[in-house]
Amino acid sequence: MAGTKYEILDPETGWLDPSIYTDQEIYRREMTHIFGRAWLLIGHDSLIPNPGDFFHTYMGEDPVILSRGSDGSVNVLLNMCRHRGARLVRADDGNCNSFVCSYHAWTYGLDGELEYVPGEQEVYYGELDRSKLGLKRARVATYAGLVFATWAEDAPSLEDYLGDARWYLDMEFNRSGKGTYAVGPHKWIQPINWKTAVDNCSDWYHVPVSHASAANAMFRVLGEPRFTHDRLFQMKGRAAFVNGHQVQYFKMPEDSLAGQSKSIPTATAEDDTAEAVERLGEFRAKSVVLGTHSLFPNTVLGFRLAIPRGPLKTEFWHFALASNADTPEQQREVLRVHTARNGVTGHFEADDVDNWRQVSESGLSGTYRELGQRVNLGIGHTHTDDVFPGALSDRFVSENNHRHFYRRWEEFMNADSWADIPLDPQKATYEGTAGMNE
Amino acid sequence: MVVVTVIDRDTQSEVFAPTASAKSAQELWTELNAFYIAEAWLLDERKLHEWLDMFTEDLLYFMPRRKNVPSREADREIPPYGTDLPFFDEDRKMMLVRIQRMDSGMAWAEEPPSRTRHLVGNLVVQRVEEDGTVHAKTAFLCHRSHAEYDTALYSGYREDVLHPVDGTWKISRRTIVLDVNVVLDKNMAIFF
Ligand code: FES
Ligand SMILES: [Fe+2]
Repeated sequence: MAGTKYEILDPETGWLDPSIYTDQEIYRREMTHIFGRAWLLIGHDSLIPNPGDFFHTYMGEDPVILSRGSDGSVNVLLNMCRHRGARLVRADDGNCNSFVCSYHAWTYGLDGELEYVPGEQEVYYGELDRSKLGLKRARVATYAGLVFATWAEDAPSLEDYLGDARWYLDMEFNRSGKGTYAVGPHKWIQPINWKTAVDNCSDWYHVPVSHASAANAMFRVLGEPRFTHDRLFQMKGRAAFVNGHQVQYFKMPEDSLAGQSKSIPTATAEDDTAEAVERLGEFRAKSVVLGTHSLFPNTVLGFRLAIPRGPLKTEFWHFALASNADTPEQQREVLRVHTARNGVTGHFEADDVDNWRQVSESGLSGTYRELGQRVNLGIGHTHTDDVFPGALSDRFVSENNHRHFYRRWEEFMNADSWADIPLDPQKATYEGTAGMNE
Repeated sequence: MVVVTVIDRDTQSEVFAPTASAKSAQELWTELNAFYIAEAWLLDERKLHEWLDMFTEDLLYFMPRRKNVPSREADREIPPYGTDLPFFDEDRKMMLVRIQRMDSGMAWAEEPPSRTRHLVGNLVVQRVEEDGTVHAKTAFLCHRSHAEYDTALYSGYREDVLHPVDGTWKISRRTIVLDVNVVLDKNMAIFF
């Protein structure tokens, strides 16, 4: 609908319109204006190591095939036959030479080219132009093994899309030249709007409450630190906001990590500092530690995806990323912790979903729509810095991210094309040898 | 007397042939069936600490993912232990974390708690080892009702390794395989 302008967040008061979670028209527009335009995290290099490998994944509601061509190239193809729309791939993953449609056997190469049509001469009278009927291809780009895709021809490069957020993300994803590998995912259906899972990613305000039972049991059984309000309110930790992405970080040595238990741990090898300094420079390697993070629009905490399935339905994918630099024992421990805490069975995550669901469903109440939600925690308290890029918050507990995320949402929803979507200026200085893909 | 004979998937050998000294196949089957029925009642009556006592100290509680793969690649359908990101990969301490948190009244996934009904059947004794260790397989249906109108139906099978201890059985290794690819439930804080 040209002309519709969404103003769903009051930046002065933090008022938020709950109908963004339930309105069917808004949801339809999100599919084109956000999921049709943004760079979406859809997979990982390690899921398709060999020529002919494929992995079935999603760009928003669109099923796509992530495939490795015979020349090693990475393809992202809409998994819908150009004839009538039947699916080419029905398995989660596998290896093949071509994709054969199970309806009438149109056959496509690993790169999506339409290679064979039964009866091309006999029943199509030799009049079919196969060259125009390849599978729809998305633009694809990778960062440190993570595979992103976009449908938008006019989108900026992935590097510009991530912007200065990469300066922080490098601390976890780009620390070692050996890279990471992805395992999983858990897949399950949550009765929530996808946005509530993403904005919650930086919501440490809820942790002492929502996760009290798990944290207390882990304190008693495993000696892990408790999450109390006091502790979290005192905890030094910061957040940076860039292009709708959110990264929490600790600035060492000022921000003590003592007693800190990261939600997604990486069992980074103890002796990685020399390599990290070479790759990231002395300052970043030693002074910046990454905490939780989300990428606009739907990547949560490392490698977890909130895939929209309707206003009040989200398919959640929970992968674990392990470092190739770690020992097998460290890798096992990382996977075990990923299994225990998060994912459909995670004793942390299990306690989140009913909250997100109720937040989502508040948009169904006309009475509550009049009231609106309040994301005003820490309002007016962001600043900039010469060294640390992005809009910064120096409180661990804040809703700066919620406001940043929903403002970015407005920018996408109100834009006619990428030309109307601003990017934060890039100011970060990258010391060291690590690049987008080195 | 019913003699239960099953071909072991791994060894392709006949795996249960009762010896003169061992319990009869029928006795063993009846005893294990009663054990599993008692277990299901503990779960449904939320006696989770008593339920955990049915496991050994060195327990492994394992639930792999279930993948969509072509039938000719069926060996990839259930990722073996240690190769993947399973739903559960728990030792006793982690099970204790999961159960202790239910005692707090703040385990929101189960507060108010789910109403569950576990139906366990299709018991097959797969193998009896020299020392009395038993390998048994059961199928289950579990219905979960939560809060006002949330429901989920789980179906699957379990493979257990059981040891005779003090006149009863203790499970040292439980593998639970759900008949589902994308889990159709908002969270999974119940046990099988
Ligand atoms: S729909 Fe694919 S060949 Fe007809
Ligand atoms: Fe949470």
